[in-house]
Amino acid sequence: MTTTTVRARTGTETDSVAHVADDRTDARFREQVLPELEVLYRVARRLTGSNSDAEDLVQDTLLKAYRAFDRFDGRYLRAWLLTIMRNHHRNQLRKRRPDLLDDEVAQRLPGHGQDARRDGVDERAFHDDLDPVVREALRSLSPKHRSVIALVDLDGLTYREAAELLGVPVGTVMSRLHRARSKVRSRLEAHLDVEDTS
Amino acid sequence: MRHRPQLPLPPEPDCHQVGAVLQSYLDGELGAEDTGVVAAHLEHCERCGIEAATVTRVIDAIRRQRPDLAPDPLVRLTGFVEQLGAGGPDPSGS
Repeated sequence: MTTTTVRARTGTETDSVAHVADDRTDARFREQVLPELEVLYRVARRLTGSNSDAEDLVQDTLLKAYRAFDRFDGRYLRAWLLTIMRNHHRNQLRKRRPDLLDDEVAQRLPGHGQDARRDGVDERAFHDDLDPVVREALRSLSPKHRSVIALVDLDGLTYREAAELLGVPVGTVMSRLHRARSKVRSRLEAHLDVEDTS
Repeated sequence: MRHRPQLPLPPEPDCHQVGAVLQSYLDGELGAEDTGVVAAHLEHCERCGIEAATVTRVIDAIRRQRPDLAPDPLVRLTGFVEQLGAGGPDPSGS
């Protein structure tokens, strides 16, 4: 058994925790959580719209997960981590804007006008002529459709994980995803039809 | 396509039944048994095969828009986890 004191991040934002865990638990935490970092960071960027805020949010999430890891039932780790992240982010928004009602907080979840790219995130080089058409089609989607397609297709969440994050049933995720992809498909088909006739 | 709570597919589903679960199939969200049933249907049904190929191209086109991540934040976060899980010093390095 080891006694661990972990202090997070900056001197102005010091967070101390006394955590007692055996080495096996620590190793299990590392092994299970490390593969989830990229997804966590992608989703955090979508939630916060900022690279630096996203990194802070992931650190806070990891710290909370570490503290609670003894109570984790071992199933659906990613969904558990995303729930911690969502709740922490929601609480942060409430602290900054206590006048916000729940619905307004929900409006700040993925796809509701937040755009991580505004913080200078590098975009992949596009090699396909269709990519501008796809990007325009994605921009034209309603927030609720864009959020689902972003979480599933761009961030790599399962239906269940996206549903958990958005607070909607899995069936709603599936139907929104289908509707969103159909709209993108229609745009692509229209573009290709125009090319064929020109 | 209409979405419904997914029930096990019959061993030889019709095109409508396959169409109802095609999205889940392509997203890897079907169970192993249903995945095998749909794959077998797509092997011999030209119409469903074309639809699956079309939807796959749409999904691929969307996924190409996934932004690259700068490596630095992930490196820092990896270090943070390793510090947490190792019972090591302050992850901030101070």
